[in-house]
Amino acid sequence: MSSASATAQVKIQLQTKSPELQIPKEIGPILVRTGFKRLQLSQLVNTLLENGENHIPLQFLINGQYLKTTIDDFLTQNGISAETTLSVEYVKALIPPQTIASYEHDDWVSSVDVFSSPQQSRILSGSFDGLIRVWGMSSDLLATGTGHSSAVKSAKFISPTQVVSSSGDRTLRLWKYEDSDIGTASLTPTLELYGHNASVDNVAVHAPSSRMLSASADHTVGIWSTRKSDAPAAQEELIPVSNKRRKITPTAKPTATRGPLTLMSGHASQVAEVCFDETYATIAYSVSWDHTLKTWDLATSKCVDTRTTPQSLWSVCHLPEKSLVAAGTALKHITLIDPRVSAQTVSAMTLRGHTNAIVSMARDPNSSHQILSGSYDGTCRIWDLRSVRNDASERIGESVFIIERDAVRQAKKLGTRREDIGGVKVFGVAWDAEVGMVSGAEDKRVQIDRQT
Amino acid sequence: MAQQRAGQKRKVVEIPLAEQVEDDVLGNGDFDEELAEDEGSDGDEEFDEDEEEDGDEEDSDEEPLSEDGEDVRQQLRDLKTSSSVEIVDPDKDPDTDLATNGTYTPEKRPADLSNYDISVDANGNPRYIYKDIEPNYDTDDSDAPITKNTIGNIPLSYYDAYPHIGYDVNGRCIQRPAKGAALDSLLDSIDIPAGWTGLTDPATGKPLNLSREELEVLKKLSRNETPGDGYDPYPDMVEYFTGKGMEEVMPLSAAPEPKRRFVPSMHEHKRVMKIVKAIKEGRIKPYKEPTAEDLEKEEQEQEYAQYDVWANEVPRPDHAMNMPAPKLPPPGYEESYHPPPEYLPDKHQQEEWEKQDEEDRTRDFLPKDHSALRKVPGYAKFVKEKFERCLDLYLAPRVRRSKLNIDPESLLPKLPDPAELRPFPDHRSVEYVGHKGRVRTIAIDPTGDYLASGGDDGTVRIWELSTGHLKQKVRLSTTDPVNIVAWRPVISPPILAACCADNVHFIVPTDSTSPTAQAEAHTLLTAGFSAAPTIPTKSATGVDKPSPSSWHTPIPAHASQSISLTLSLRSTPKTLTWHRRGTYFATVCPSSGSPSTAIAIHALPTHTSQHPFKRLKGLPQTALFHPSQPKFFLATRQRVRIYDLQAGKLVRELLPGARWISSLSLHPGGNNLLIGSYDRKLLWHDLELAPTPYKTLRYHTRAIRDVAFHPTLQLFADASDDGSVQIFHGKVVEDGFENATIVPLKVLKGHRVRGELGVLGVVWHPREARCVSAGADGVVRMWA
Repeated sequence: MSSASATAQVKIQLQTKSPELQIPKEIGPILVRTGFKRLQLSQLVNTLLENGENHIPLQFLINGQYLKTTIDDFLTQNGISAETTLSVEYVKALIPPQTIASYEHDDWVSSVDVFSSPQQSRILSGSFDGLIRVWGMSSDLLATGTGHSSAVKSAKFISPTQVVSSSGDRTLRLWKYEDSDIGTASLTPTLELYGHNASVDNVAVHAPSSRMLSASADHTVGIWSTRKSDAPAAQEELIPVSNKRRKITPTAKPTATRGPLTLMSGHASQVAEVCFDETYATIAYSVSWDHTLKTWDLATSKCVDTRTTPQSLWSVCHLPEKSLVAAGTALKHITLIDPRVSAQTVSAMTLRGHTNAIVSMARDPNSSHQILSGSYDGTCRIWDLRSVRNDASERIGESVFIIERDAVRQAKKLGTRREDIGGVKVFGVAWDAEVGMVSGAEDKRVQIDRQT
Repeated sequence: MAQQRAGQKRKVVEIPLAEQVEDDVLGNGDFDEELAEDEGSDGDEEFDEDEEEDGDEEDSDEEPLSEDGEDVRQQLRDLKTSSSVEIVDPDKDPDTDLATNGTYTPEKRPADLSNYDISVDANGNPRYIYKDIEPNYDTDDSDAPITKNTIGNIPLSYYDAYPHIGYDVNGRCIQRPAKGAALDSLLDSIDIPAGWTGLTDPATGKPLNLSREELEVLKKLSRNETPGDGYDPYPDMVEYFTGKGMEEVMPLSAAPEPKRRFVPSMHEHKRVMKIVKAIKEGRIKPYKEPTAEDLEKEEQEQEYAQYDVWANEVPRPDHAMNMPAPKLPPPGYEESYHPPPEYLPDKHQQEEWEKQDEEDRTRDFLPKDHSALRKVPGYAKFVKEKFERCLDLYLAPRVRRSKLNIDPESLLPKLPDPAELRPFPDHRSVEYVGHKGRVRTIAIDPTGDYLASGGDDGTVRIWELSTGHLKQKVRLSTTDPVNIVAWRPVISPPILAACCADNVHFIVPTDSTSPTAQAEAHTLLTAGFSAAPTIPTKSATGVDKPSPSSWHTPIPAHASQSISLTLSLRSTPKTLTWHRRGTYFATVCPSSGSPSTAIAIHALPTHTSQHPFKRLKGLPQTALFHPSQPKFFLATRQRVRIYDLQAGKLVRELLPGARWISSLSLHPGGNNLLIGSYDRKLLWHDLELAPTPYKTLRYHTRAIRDVAFHPTLQLFADASDDGSVQIFHGKVVEDGFENATIVPLKVLKGHRVRGELGVLGVVWHPREARCVSAGADGVVRMWA
């Protein structure tokens, strides 16, 4: 077999979608040995690209699958004849992520966010102990924000100096973040936003329009302004007046309170996540336990479209290049939904691989093809939307890389039982071009992985 | 001398043998035989005789029966002139006595016993007239056991020194039979006249005496020899055809060959020349092998076409209805037209055959002899038989009955595929870790956001359902376990009832509850205190008795943990079930001393308690409110009773057949009840059907602790001590025309069994296909 495959050749047609990788001269199908693996093909393409010494590692997609074995084995596995001309798409190689650092917390980490600029990168984490923390890149805790009386469910940077957090205490809080000295910073609460009747589980931010969206367990989606001056006054009865907890808060003077611009009701159950449309800031998507994905027009505060899926949806992420919305289900998979009204089918594609509910998703800042998902099964997975196979009824994507929690990896190495580690549910993920993939989980850590 | 006589006598006796004389008493060999027989037949003796005398006997019955024998004896007696007197009195002469031992004694001895009368016949001989035999027991000796020598398997020589040779069954001596010298002396004593045969000439009636010559002739005849002198069995051959002067003359002629034998025949020449001439003229052509062309031509000349119909014939399988005829045996001699004479029936058989009914005949024809085949007539019954055969085929068609081949799979009820019944929980989703010791009870709040659990550590914990994060922990006791947690089934304000020891605590969760809702809940719980004055009057029916329940504000340690109200009962409640409106709830205290106070229905707004069941049979276990009707389901250990609360009477009694009911769950439709029992049975009752279960599900290996219907979906679950939660699809059609469909879907395993206890509780999310189970291992798990 091997001797035969060493001599056998197959005709391939190379193509790519990224302009910087285009082969200068137009070339037709070329004959390659079937014994070639990814490395040989990558070298071949680099020679064609006349890159000289600067080799760009490449990966090859054949029929929606990444080439991992020899071409011969690939053809055998997929039952493709070696006589045909293979259409091979080459892309920049995906580099397996590696854990860079992990920041320890006092309690489970519910959400993470990253703000990065070439000068400095800051990581924001919200924890179930009711605190939000800002970290530097060298695992140094820069600032802690106290004020929430219950678990922080979501925390986001609005700008390098402004932070918003939502909590189980039914409020959103705006914070002012200031880097004072090297190694220290301050988080001061600027605004308390009242309006929801139950835990505010998620917040989405659109800085240019200074709008925020909140998803709450009281079945509503709230629209808020990040500016104190724009926001209307809060309803009096929602503000705890003679609450004993007020005395616990260290801030001497009470923080200003404001209310929502609008509370949009329409969901029949608690709203799990909300996100802005990346291209049009007046459109938002929200997913709920009532199995629906709703498209909201923020200008009119109306629900434009409702897509019902067979299961509860716990996370949402907009993919503008693909015109798709990724919705993580409470079961095990991610459904890619085409939210446009013209779309016929509810589910455009299904990403399968997680073994538990998907609670958080983030887009690859560098590419439009990859997304990162965090799940209750304790893993984060990177998905490449180009790698698709068609099943009987649906298009199925499989994960490219699996990022396990550091503790699990250690346990595997040491041979410790899985139960002894405790829970490792991932609650929040963020993906930044500079910092990498950040995830917060039940193991009370923020873990940073990067493709280097 | 004696020997000679004996030999003579033997010869003489041979003649009577041919004439069927049976009693050859004088033959030596026969004598021995008789003796031998008598040894055996000793016990046959009816008469009590001296042992010495009963050695050998003739049966007295036989003698009168055979006339010939009788005659012989008679003659014998007559002949013995010298001893005739002694015959009458045998006892006189011992020698004679010995001689008579063989034959005479039986006749004499019966005479003594007057078994017969002796008269004189026509010849002047004594005639024995026997008395009638009395058919009493003693006369019939056919059943009497044959006397045998009881000495066993030892040689007779052991008794050589004794006069006897052994003992019979009665213990009497068996005498040695007479032989040798004794016999000789007997034979010598008998004086037989010359020519005596012992026979009677039938013509004269006189004794038949035969001369020596006559005896010689008889002897020769009996030996197949030619009787008489002068007979030459081998005469000389008379030569009729051979011999001198009779020689045969040679039959062939010796004449010389005639000339014509050597001269060619003119006639033949003429014929040959004729043929030659014909050939020359071409009239006769020599035979030529026909070529293929010729054959073709010949074929073409033929006017008709030939088809080989059977050219492509292949053997075909039997037709399904083809039944081969049974194989008949080949015809025998009887069926022959000319059977051997032994096969031909005689007249009698023929008559018998004709008399028999046609159906009874063993064969349906009578063998007949025909000297030649051509003389066999036509078959007379041919037409009739053909007609009957046709009638058979027409009236009784043969049917091939094929065996029923039923696929056992097809007999199983058609259950839908579990994959079609999604969603249902099939994997573990979230774990709620924190309880120390068993988690006894769990409850999901009506919004589906929070989960409350209570366990052996005396704490009530409120978890965020979706994340598994502990929101609030309320310590009710340090010693007593929390037995029950139950959310008030109204979304707002959230109130949780928790039973610990004898108390029911009402908890208002603070976390994530808006202050207005908290205030609302507090007002609702404490509103009853204003109506408090009415309580004593109501419960004063028991005059001085302390009230079985008291409502009071919680102790400070509890009040700080957001407990707003405490209800104290006098025994430990094991069940707390809310009415759907949230105003009433019922508690069941199985350990209560009096059954009347075991079940209480409490009104929350007025802080009142009622005990509607004064007399209750059995120990109460658990209770339920009907979701839409004023009905109350109460389970004792073995029965479930349904009461109408408005009418205050028993409506129905269910007989689940369980030994100890553990839990109840009512379908949201209200017409189907699930009963879990500690004896491993899960019982589905259709309340519109019989009081016995509609379905009994035995899938668990240990006790079932909890059962739960999903509030909205067609699912139900049960939790068992074997550590598993089982999920079923239970489709209920409300129109009542169709019975419920139950499909087992999934066994959820994951809880560890600790101390014989597995999963203690299971609850469903109010809307989603998710269930939460409480394990004895201290872990609460959500399954999705």
